[in-house]
Amino acid sequence: MSASRALRLAPAVALVALLVRPTVALAGEPSDVLRDVWTRIQQITPGQEASPDRPRPHVVQSAADAPSISLRDLSHPISLERSIRAAAAVPPAQLHLTIPNGQARLGDFSIGSDQTLTGDLLVLEGTADVYGRLDGNLVSWGGDIVLHSGAVIAGDVLALDGQVRLEGGEVTGEVRTMSSPAMEQSPTVAPSPMSHLLRSLAGTTGVFLTMLLAGFGLVLFGKTPLEVTSDTVRSSFSRAFIVGLLGQVLVLPTFGMLVVGLILTVAGILLIPFVVIVFALLLVAGVVGGALAVAHAMGESITRRQMAQGRALSPNSYRYLIVGLCCIFAPWLVWTLFGWVPVAGELMLGAAILISWLLASVGFGAALLSRGGLKEQFAGRFIPPEMLTDEFLWATPRYGVPAVKRQPPDSSR
Amino acid sequence: MTRLLLYAAFTVSTAGAVHAQSLREYSSTRQDHGESRLAATIKYAGGTLSLMPAPPGILYALRLTYDADRFAPVAQFDPAVPRLTLGTEALPRSGGMRVSYHGTPPAATIGLGTRADLDLDIELGAAEATLELGGIRISRLKLETGASKTVVRFSESNPIRCSAAEFSAGAAELVVTGLGYSRCGKVDFHGGVGKVTLDFSGRWTGQVHLDAGMAMGELVLRLPRRAGVRIAFDKFLATFAPAGLVRSADGRMWSSAGFENAPQHLVVDLETAFGGVTVEWID
Repeated sequence: MSASRALRLAPAVALVALLVRPTVALAGEPSDVLRDVWTRIQQITPGQEASPDRPRPHVVQSAADAPSISLRDLSHPISLERSIRAAAAVPPAQLHLTIPNGQARLGDFSIGSDQTLTGDLLVLEGTADVYGRLDGNLVSWGGDIVLHSGAVIAGDVLALDGQVRLEGGEVTGEVRTMSSPAMEQSPTVAPSPMSHLLRSLAGTTGVFLTMLLAGFGLVLFGKTPLEVTSDTVRSSFSRAFIVGLLGQVLVLPTFGMLVVGLILTVAGILLIPFVVIVFALLLVAGVVGGALAVAHAMGESITRRQMAQGRALSPNSYRYLIVGLCCIFAPWLVWTLFGWVPVAGELMLGAAILISWLLASVGFGAALLSRGGLKEQFAGRFIPPEMLTDEFLWATPRYGVPAVKRQPPDSSR
Repeated sequence: MTRLLLYAAFTVSTAGAVHAQSLREYSSTRQDHGESRLAATIKYAGGTLSLMPAPPGILYALRLTYDADRFAPVAQFDPAVPRLTLGTEALPRSGGMRVSYHGTPPAATIGLGTRADLDLDIELGAAEATLELGGIRISRLKLETGASKTVVRFSESNPIRCSAAEFSAGAAELVVTGLGYSRCGKVDFHGGVGKVTLDFSGRWTGQVHLDAGMAMGELVLRLPRRAGVRIAFDKFLATFAPAGLVRSADGRMWSSAGFENAPQHLVVDLETAFGGVTVEWID
């Protein structure tokens, strides 16, 4: 539609508007009437910026039960926005608001250059064009605030989900804008149960295979220390657990004392980097090796129990490790499968962590007790002399797992 | 039964929920109404921060992109003092600070007016900050950084004399350049762990006193060659590279040649435990 046709339509539309809402239009000053009419023309006439979604401008009436929103203090825009959002969550026809010492408008609103408004002003879902003077605070929600040349706001300005365009106006107070909550550009999507299952399964399998490979390497290159530590776990379980707990508590103080001691010697300062690395490696070896020893012990116990029941199995360290690691990772597998279940998933995770920590503590303690598998004192391999009675020696086979050396006859006398 | 299993499988595979971080934008501006002085405090916990002189006619301007789940914007101005506080504050039970963001990270841009004399306090948390203070009228400066990377730049001369500049850094990388332009008669620095560069380039007159203490890390002093420099050093297991400085008889003082006759004097009190202090000369 051309501009000339729009101009021809304007008086007619204005007349209709006046007739439709005479109470609102005639309620104010003559300048208010003209401004309302002009605003409606701007909205109705095609070619203007007004969107059909924009509400028809009008005063938001106050009512006895209407929510009251104070615009006196704009330094807390979040709470103010919350109040406005809650109050505006009704159809425009049912919208009622009380602004203490002020007024609320729905839709576009402007203050003419010859006009002075006193009191706070809230403009909802519309643009606030200011050419004149406002003695109070101005807040817009869902629209911009445009301060044209010559405009004066004797107060603060706040645009919620809108912009403030300073085109020569003056604001004695503060100008604030706040956008509506927006999603981050790449929102993190919580994994679905299926993806959770797959990711957890991949993680658990990866750790399991890593431990298995480390265990096989230990069997290949350090079988004796592994077996000694494993026997320490079986023979001195409680002792190993207590030592493991103490070890965890004393790790950092020991490290600190070591470093401080080296610093005090001055010459030892150069050794600090090496000591740090060696200490970390020993710690990792103690924890991982201890965990593998626990797995070995568990696997050995289970295998021997099965053999005692008549099953023909090959008792070797590889089997022990596989069986033991399967047992250790069983709680993690349960969490992998059902960890997506609310509450229960967290409980399963907590149980898996607790069990793993307990076993790791036992393994760490066993590694400390056996000095990394070098000391057999707590491995149950020594038979005290008082046990070497004739009955014991007679009942003990010369060959087999529990066999011990029969003492020569001379020594028994 | 098959249908039930299919339904269960569908439910399991599609039951994920979207958790989005609610980033919001906030701005606050105040026009200059002839304020002659301002006590300004800037508090910023995490993200990137840029501080620079504001355009003419603006007393201050703040533009924030922040995580509304964890922080709240702060822009408070008390015209009676006048006192200004800008930045963010952590919400109670916000669950700590996120270090990584997939999309737009939290950021703040602050402009400070160049007409009012500023008593400026800056408190940074885990932030990456670039502070351009050249041209701002700073009467006193205090900067505290936590685990951050901070660059402070005086690229223009301070229009007024500054009584003191205090810098304290936790585990941080701090670079201060153009300290000569700051026109601060006294510069204090206290650092924990990290690397700190104090650059005294710029146009400065009279005597500047630097009091620097560092627990562990590297301190680099970039000193103008034309200035007379005297360094008193108290160290414990620290290295010192006093390039071009002459050691005093008691062994605790280093001075540049012609210290007494130099037009400007920089007197430095250094104290460090572990780490190293390096002196670099600039023309």
